Amino acid sequence: MAGIFDFVPAIVLLPFVSFLVALAVGNRMPKGGAFAGIVATAGSFLLSLATFFTVSQGQTYNQTIYTWAQGLDGAVTLEFGLLIDPLSALMLVIVTLIALLVHIFSLGYMNDEGETGLPRYYAGLGLFTASMLGFVVADNLLMAFMFFELVGLCSYLLIGFWFREPGPPSAAKKAFLVTRFGDYFFLVGVVAVFATFGTAAFAGSESFPHLAEQALAGETSVNTFGFAAETWFTIVGLLVLGGVVGKSAQFPLHTWLPDAMEGPTPVSALIHAATMVAAGVYLVARMYGFYALSPTALAIIALIGGFTALFAATMGVVKREIKQVLAYSTISQYGYMMLGLGGGGYVAATFHLMTHAFFKALLFLGAGSVIIAMHHNENMWDMGGLKEKMPVTYYTFLSGSLALAGIFPFAGFWSKDEVLYETLIHGLGGSPILLVAYAMGLLAVFFTGFYTFRMVFLTFHGKPRSQTARDPHGVRWNVKGPLAVLGVLAATTGVVNMVPVEKLLGIKGIDFLHQWLDMSLDGLTAHHYAELTPYSSAYIGGEATTVAIGAAVSLGLAIAGAGLAYVLYNVPEPTEHTDKLGGIKTLLYNNYYQDEYQVWLANSVVRPISRGADKFDQGVVDGVVNGVSSVSLFSGSRVRRIQTGVVSNYAALLTLGLTVLLLGFGLLGGWFQ
Amino acid sequence: MMIEALMAVTFAAALVVFVAPDEYAGRLAAALSLLPVVGSLLMWAQYDASGNALLGGDIAFETDFVWLSLGNLDVHWFVGVDGISLPLLVLTTILTTLAIVSAWTPIDVRQSQFYGLMLFMEANLLGVFTALDFFVWFVFWEAVLVPMYFLIGIWGGPRRKYAAIKFFVYTNIASLVMFIGFIALVFGLGDSVSSMRLPEIAQALRADQLGSFAGLSADALKLVAFVAMFLGFAVKVPVVPLHTWLPDAHVEAPTPASVMLAGVLLKMGTYALLRFNFTMMPDVAKALVVPIAVIAVLSVIYGAILALAQQDLKRIVAYSSVSSMGYVILGLVAYTTYGVGGATFQMIAHGLISGLMFMAVGVIYNTTHTRMLGDMSGIADRMPVTSGIFVAGAFGYMGLPLMAGFAGEFFIFQGSFQSTVHSAMPLFTAAAMFGIVIVAGYLLSAMQRTLFGPFRFDGDYEVTEAAFHDVAPLAVLLLLVIVLGVDPDIFFTMIQQAVNPILETGGGL
Repeated sequence: MAGIFDFVPAIVLLPFVSFLVALAVGNRMPKGGAFAGIVATAGSFLLSLATFFTVSQGQTYNQTIYTWAQGLDGAVTLEFGLLIDPLSALMLVIVTLIALLVHIFSLGYMNDEGETGLPRYYAGLGLFTASMLGFVVADNLLMAFMFFELVGLCSYLLIGFWFREPGPPSAAKKAFLVTRFGDYFFLVGVVAVFATFGTAAFAGSESFPHLAEQALAGETSVNTFGFAAETWFTIVGLLVLGGVVGKSAQFPLHTWLPDAMEGPTPVSALIHAATMVAAGVYLVARMYGFYALSPTALAIIALIGGFTALFAATMGVVKREIKQVLAYSTISQYGYMMLGLGGGGYVAATFHLMTHAFFKALLFLGAGSVIIAMHHNENMWDMGGLKEKMPVTYYTFLSGSLALAGIFPFAGFWSKDEVLYETLIHGLGGSPILLVAYAMGLLAVFFTGFYTFRMVFLTFHGKPRSQTARDPHGVRWNVKGPLAVLGVLAATTGVVNMVPVEKLLGIKGIDFLHQWLDMSLDGLTAHHYAELTPYSSAYIGGEATTVAIGAAVSLGLAIAGAGLAYVLYNVPEPTEHTDKLGGIKTLLYNNYYQDEYQVWLANSVVRPISRGADKFDQGVVDGVVNGVSSVSLFSGSRVRRIQTGVVSNYAALLTLGLTVLLLGFGLLGGWFQ
Repeated sequence: MMIEALMAVTFAAALVVFVAPDEYAGRLAAALSLLPVVGSLLMWAQYDASGNALLGGDIAFETDFVWLSLGNLDVHWFVGVDGISLPLLVLTTILTTLAIVSAWTPIDVRQSQFYGLMLFMEANLLGVFTALDFFVWFVFWEAVLVPMYFLIGIWGGPRRKYAAIKFFVYTNIASLVMFIGFIALVFGLGDSVSSMRLPEIAQALRADQLGSFAGLSADALKLVAFVAMFLGFAVKVPVVPLHTWLPDAHVEAPTPASVMLAGVLLKMGTYALLRFNFTMMPDVAKALVVPIAVIAVLSVIYGAILALAQQDLKRIVAYSSVSSMGYVILGLVAYTTYGVGGATFQMIAHGLISGLMFMAVGVIYNTTHTRMLGDMSGIADRMPVTSGIFVAGAFGYMGLPLMAGFAGEFFIFQGSFQSTVHSAMPLFTAAAMFGIVIVAGYLLSAMQRTLFGPFRFDGDYEVTEAAFHDVAPLAVLLLLVIVLGVDPDIFFTMIQQAVNPILETGGGL
């Protein structure tokens, strides 16, 4: 039966073909291969929608499609397969939609601006999209790792797109290297999963989360390398988490992300909203059945998430460049997703992944539009008053900002609120660590509201503060179109999961995302995950009261933050109020010196060690070799002296040698006894 | 007679090229070297054997007759291939052709001699990977050194004499140590073997037929012989701390010689380790697992750290070979299908990728006449195609998935992590795996400094894109690396068939 699932490989392959086309003949195509990419991602998007609808009919798909390495005589076979369930189907739609919009937007940002190297750019976008889609549909951890790495390669290629300048190649290197450091742990984790379970499949009765569950229940036994099963599973889970922390830019491996702003802005939108950074969090969601078994791993995820959310939000407060603010907001928002996952809110985190994809893509594209208008000046202090000049950008950007700040009823409000709510009730239910993480996440809401609206007011309100801001460059349909689509989505996607409304007003059945994620394969449903997690819930007063209090507090904090920004920055001629922070501003502006210590590690620790090793190698190891050869050369030159060339000397030596030999044999042979 | 034909054609080609005029020696050599390529690919296509040639499995394209007698021991002309040697044979022929093409630009004196020596070396390499009699094998093994000595010594860089002599003496002393070790084993086996055919010796050793010799008990003899042979082969690989000849040889060698040295000659060491030490004496290997694994990890990490300190592109690639070959040792000592099979696969993968990297460095050097990182930047602006392939090759070296290097390394990690030869194997594996981070560090830094940034070049040469015939071998290698990375079973199935018998007896795996 040829169903829609037979076309799922095409979702991945179409952008890959556009990569090949752009690379091979992009030079000879109009727009440098952009249309190939647009057609391919549009095709992928339509197929993803079709897949989405098929999944909504209750069908799922879990099938091996390619044997990468066939193991003989009992060795494990390594395969590629497709796992299409509600989670991956949803992600396919998000990724392909944003990739399509980014392609269209690039016409305005790259082509209209007269950039060179466009075939390389569109090839990179195509490969990036294909790699991410391959990662999304992966049915096992090894395949996921492989595409995860390819995503890393693409980020390198695109962040370093403007390779003739000094900044981008350095940023590209840093992005790949820092995430590679995380991926090292991930790869050890992959190998450990194979060694432990003999499989790395995500779903099915022979999948590793299921086997782990059985092993904990004592129904099966796996190789846990001498550890207690739960300890070992925690170790393995944390190893894989290394890759997540790297790619999703969580503390302490977040440092690559702000530098990655060196890449073209549409690429930033793609990286932050739908591909690389999303990949990390998606991986945790994909194998949530495994993490849910380990309370320690969950607690660590929640703490990393809560801390990162707060930590990054504070840094966003003082940035001058519009893209820098957005960069730190990305780190912070992925912190919320981690917080949700660690706090037992699988659906909430997935929800936030989705809404964030829309509003963050929107904000980056909006920032791109502003950057075009500003002739590639990104400093917000040179902007101001753009509201009247570019209304489409302004209102869509405002929609995204309201969503980012978490203001009712924009999408971000619903998802962030649910993340915080789930963490709160599970924390109250006897997990004090979650309450700590919750507190950090809650505090970050205030900072988010502040930096978001500081950005909006500085950019669009007040009086223009430079000549370019007085007379900005116009943008065309290819910029406004994607903004409009995303602007609507950022405002409205909250309706897919209005849990507070359901709880407060008692309207049943509007938690669509919960129902959606419950339609998955056995063992991958939201319900099953809820049963697996070690958490129980407790409430302040009743459930409805807790919902109301939680929502009110987070909304109040967001509005307070936004209000403070309004007071300070929504004036005709704003000044740098953050100067009042004094030393703290310097600390924040320098990102808590996180970069400094990592650069110090690289330059002042690793480099000297390698130079020392090199000296040791040349001096001692090779010195011994040369020493031995000198000794032999020296002795050779001494021994050579007996070769005098005088025949009588040779005759004497010959006789002497013969005598010694005879004597020796005689002594050994016992002639003289 | 396929193998004999292959060798005869190659030797004949070497002779023909040697006497050909310099003007078209390069073209002629490339054309003639296609014959062994076709031959080896035919063998690969026709190959339907399975099992290990030394342990009673099928031997494909086999010839075996008594050549001469030395007392009780017959020397046989005994050649044939199995799933371990056939991929190496294919690697050798393909890499030789590409290396010859890559020599067209840089080699501008005594061309006919140069290409003749390249082909002569290829013929002997074919012998090394097909000979199944120790005597025949040893002749080829030693004969490979001679052309390489001249290739470095005549066409090399400023310190070529020193590097060539160091290479020759170092590896020759190693051969001597290994030879003594092996002969001691043959004497120890005494009457239980009637020839120096490797299968006979391997099976006798695995059946515990070793007697005492020269005052050493059978166990002690085995240990001494194992260590002697390990040291002998380890120089060739090379493993730390026996590696210092390698960077000197690479830096002085002309590009095509470097390609052959890193691509094929290093694999002679790991191939021999697998054929002799790890196939014939698994019990000793398992007893010595800790020191061997330590050496492997040390080679990976120390080699990578040394690469980090280098300022010469070629030295960077040279030291990274030490690092990559460390993985092979780790895979071998794991004694699992993925470990030993992955090690064999990694030999092929590293052969292709290191060949690619040396060639890419060579193409840049042809244009700029320098390899120092500080002498140039932004080369990608002037040489976009070369730089693009350089980047792709570098990512291959970093173990990017769907390229051959990832397959080899992942198989090894997979196999060694779950190995039961020692309880610390997961830790050794995790330690060695950190190499994948360091390799990214030095290659990305090197690329950032040379290929990217504003264009700057201090030399007097005009930097322009390389000629088609300079870039084409790079593209071919890149394609092969990707094909093998997407479908490793092209070789991995036959490798497993040949490797699994090694694991069966003498161990619990």
